[in-house]
Amino acid sequence: MRPFELTAPTTVDDALTAGGTFLAGGTTLVDLMKLNVLTPEHVQDINDLPLRGIDTSDGLRIGALERMGDVARHPGVYPAISRALLLSASQQLRNMASIGGNLMQRTRCSYYRDVTAPCNRRDPGSGCSALTGVNRMHAILGTSDACVATHASDLAVALVALDAEVALSSEAGTRTVELADFYRVPGDTPEIEHDLRPGELITEIRVPRLDWAENSTYVKVRDRQSYEFALASAAVALDVRDGVIADARVAVGGVATVPWRLPAVEEALRGEPATEEAFTRAAASAADGARPLAFNTFKISLVKRTVVRALLELTEGSGR
Amino acid sequence: MTDRLDAPPKVTGSADYALDRTLPGMVFGYVVVSTVASGQVEAMDVAAAQDAPGVLAVYTPFNRLDLRTPPISPIMGETWVPLRNTDVDHYGQPIGFVVAETFEQARDAALLIDVTYDEKPALLSFEDGLASAEDAPESRGNPAQIEVLEAGVESIEDVFAAAPVVVDQTYRTATQNHAAMEPHSAVAVWEDGELTVYTGNQGSNLVAQELAGALDLDPATVRVINPYVGGAFGGKGRTSTPAFLAGAAAKALGRPVKVALTREQVFTATATRAATVQKVTIGADADGTILGLRHDSWSSTPISRSFVEPTSHGTSREWYATKNLSISQKMVPLNIPQTTFMRAPGEAPGSFALESAMDELAVALNMDPIELRKRNSSLAPPGKDLQWSSKHLDECFDLGAREFGWSARRPGGHAEGDWLVGLGTATAMFPALRFPATVGITLHADGTAEVATSGADPGTGLLSVMSAVGAESLDLAPERITPKLGDSMLPPGGMSGGSTATASVGTAIMLAASDVLDALLALASGPGAPFEGQEATYADGLVHGDTATMPFGELLRAVGQDSVSGSGSSAPGEEVTKHSFSSFGAQFCEVRVHRLTGEARVSRMLGVFDGGRIINDKLARSQIKGGMIWGVSAALHEALDLDDHGRFANGDFAGYLVPVNADIPDIGVRFVQYPDTFHNAVGARGIGEISTVGVAAAIANAIYNATGVRVRHIPIMIEDLLVD
Repeated sequence: MRPFELTAPTTVDDALTAGGTFLAGGTTLVDLMKLNVLTPEHVQDINDLPLRGIDTSDGLRIGALERMGDVARHPGVYPAISRALLLSASQQLRNMASIGGNLMQRTRCSYYRDVTAPCNRRDPGSGCSALTGVNRMHAILGTSDACVATHASDLAVALVALDAEVALSSEAGTRTVELADFYRVPGDTPEIEHDLRPGELITEIRVPRLDWAENSTYVKVRDRQSYEFALASAAVALDVRDGVIADARVAVGGVATVPWRLPAVEEALRGEPATEEAFTRAAASAADGARPLAFNTFKISLVKRTVVRALLELTEGSGR
Repeated sequence: MTDRLDAPPKVTGSADYALDRTLPGMVFGYVVVSTVASGQVEAMDVAAAQDAPGVLAVYTPFNRLDLRTPPISPIMGETWVPLRNTDVDHYGQPIGFVVAETFEQARDAALLIDVTYDEKPALLSFEDGLASAEDAPESRGNPAQIEVLEAGVESIEDVFAAAPVVVDQTYRTATQNHAAMEPHSAVAVWEDGELTVYTGNQGSNLVAQELAGALDLDPATVRVINPYVGGAFGGKGRTSTPAFLAGAAAKALGRPVKVALTREQVFTATATRAATVQKVTIGADADGTILGLRHDSWSSTPISRSFVEPTSHGTSREWYATKNLSISQKMVPLNIPQTTFMRAPGEAPGSFALESAMDELAVALNMDPIELRKRNSSLAPPGKDLQWSSKHLDECFDLGAREFGWSARRPGGHAEGDWLVGLGTATAMFPALRFPATVGITLHADGTAEVATSGADPGTGLLSVMSAVGAESLDLAPERITPKLGDSMLPPGGMSGGSTATASVGTAIMLAASDVLDALLALASGPGAPFEGQEATYADGLVHGDTATMPFGELLRAVGQDSVSGSGSSAPGEEVTKHSFSSFGAQFCEVRVHRLTGEARVSRMLGVFDGGRIINDKLARSQIKGGMIWGVSAALHEALDLDDHGRFANGDFAGYLVPVNADIPDIGVRFVQYPDTFHNAVGARGIGEISTVGVAAAIANAIYNATGVRVRHIPIMIEDLLVD
């Protein structure tokens, strides 16, 4: 960690005027500062900003500084969002980490986190160590020759499935962006991870009302029971009427460079019976376009299975 | 049952670990490690670091600390000492040491050092190296290859050719790190020509000897202190890089020096368990009798070839009755960090191979796996005359099978919802050894007794065992015993390693008790003493004469002494000429595998052990449970991934997975207690390491039972179990 200046604004305007790197829960930023991956000269602790509150009166509005644990426990939050949060990190981290910060968390690619290794995302043009290195945890979807790092957020997968938007503020004003459009696949510029402009701050997360999203869930497949990132995950919501799927939402995580919505799977589910056979047929396209690496070919199969399992959990009750 | 004596200080945070020590004038060190896997350090530009705020010194191979390789220890082999030359043999190797007034200053300055390497191609592929592997050096008198053949048999190949059933498979185990919670660290003080080093280790007098050798000091002037150790598991047997650097820098600078490795550095700048490849061939008769067993092993080893994981010698050499046995051990030198002992070295990965192969044999024979193991139970190691001193392995299996519900096991397992459920079992064995140990006992006039040895309690419970055995040997309540260890000034207690401490130190305590009581009684009947000229005896803390009885404290006061001392030493002796010695156990587990997504989760475990006499049931269970959890970790989680540049791609606690609480079910532990007084007077054999032996195989065998998938490597991952 390098020495840095720390300030603590109390109004959003002050925060936006001063610039610098925003610190909320600190569970990503401080971690990466300790590893010298991020070396900000000016850090703004924004925890005193009035960006709190969970409003479930029409859809869902969550202040960016709400803690993951508090949102997960809120009774008005859709199950897919709540479960995605509860399956994230550990209780201690969920108590610290903010919702806005969760969406801004960096990849867990071990080469990104190791400053002695080349990494195009951390150090543009230096090369990608993961392409020939240990890449079991890496992405198969949305990758490029410059970067194959997996997006790490569980929450973002559930939010993208449910058409969430983020409200952004800067000195130039405020705007709203669909979360699905907020994230950028790496392409030739992996260092550009999202649509956030310099000095811009996430102030609120909004999820449009979707009554049948009460029938939603999040399944996370990983190498241990808790406190580990996904090898594959699926956020799904199903509108089933008389055993037939009227509508569906499906997004997957742990396999792509950004939260990965699967419109083709959703389309294939509509009008089908809510059975394992139909789920398996629909999920067959879940990894279309995948570019597997030496150690992660299994994710092509795993992501399909994860989608099927999540859909089954919605139709056959919990406890499986 | 006596509680763990060191539990309250550990739980409340008052336990004083080496790194907790803060001394006046203390300065801080930060270790610099290499970023290439092989070559030479050509130059190190340290000008900016030297000029950075608070920096006192920057040590490198070009500005060396006064360190040399200490004499080779008979138990641990050669110890790697940092900064002696410009060689780089692995990624993350210590190549520099910055000392500054604060930790932050040292750390920040270390970032300013610019290193130039003459990089050379690194040897990184274990698999590629198998073809050109070298024979392992002789270990404890055992050559790399051992063959025992029945009269008239020319080759073990002939046995397999004639055997009705043959299993012939290759198994692989991963590189692991001990990952103790306490990072390797030290606080060193140089004062009046004497060096004191506070550092977590497994034997303070052994570390003191190594430090004296490395620093060329009179051993009498080097003291090592470690009252508490935050986990060791074999990884703190050798003196650590922080201890060498802190000791040498404290001497050079005349200031106390504190240094700890970062968590990332612990993975490269200490030592690991080697990766292994093992080929096992078993030929059996139709009734399950093993006709021949061959176990060929390859171990990764660092360029220094300092340690080889002895998987064949640790298992197949002794485990089953067979008239024909062939084992071999080879090593593949690679540009990897040092390798060393890690909980059940040889036995843990070796048992994964042997006990998986035994399960495969049971399947091939359509025979119950327990029945197969009983059929081949040995009275003595193959080709040896010395029978096991006390072996109750069949009883372990019978008790375990009954308690675990083994009879409900079906070929192909069963399903519960979307989870495929299977049961597995495996044999566990670990040699019963003793190391030399000396214990001093002092009886005090206040009626208490101090039992002291320089050894270590790295969480094993030795402190509490010393209290219990001391109390028993002195006929006193445990509350009156003060056990002391972790200080090289105390009588040399040897190594807490090899599951030997209870047997070694316990025996020495019994001898020391006898010695101190003799001294006490001599005082009691000496000239002018209360029982002058009488035949004094001792019982229950009291000295009995013809005329009276008095507590030993009162007697000491009567003769005007504050205390009386005695000592006792034990070492492996005549017993090794009469019997073979091992602890035994039976591992059982139930594993659930999700039919779609392939997660394997252990849902029940039971271990039944024959470890001789159990001194403290509570601590023994704790040891066993910890070891069984290690087995789960090896089976399903732990692996250091070496990448194409020689880095460990997951060398931190974010990437190097060990089980969390949610991965571990309730663990059943049972002991069949047959005190083994052939082995030592206490009757206790080792139980620390056996508990991890066999667990990985039992889990793999349960996964086979549940899914029909035989995975021949550990850790077993989700991708191994995605079956249609």
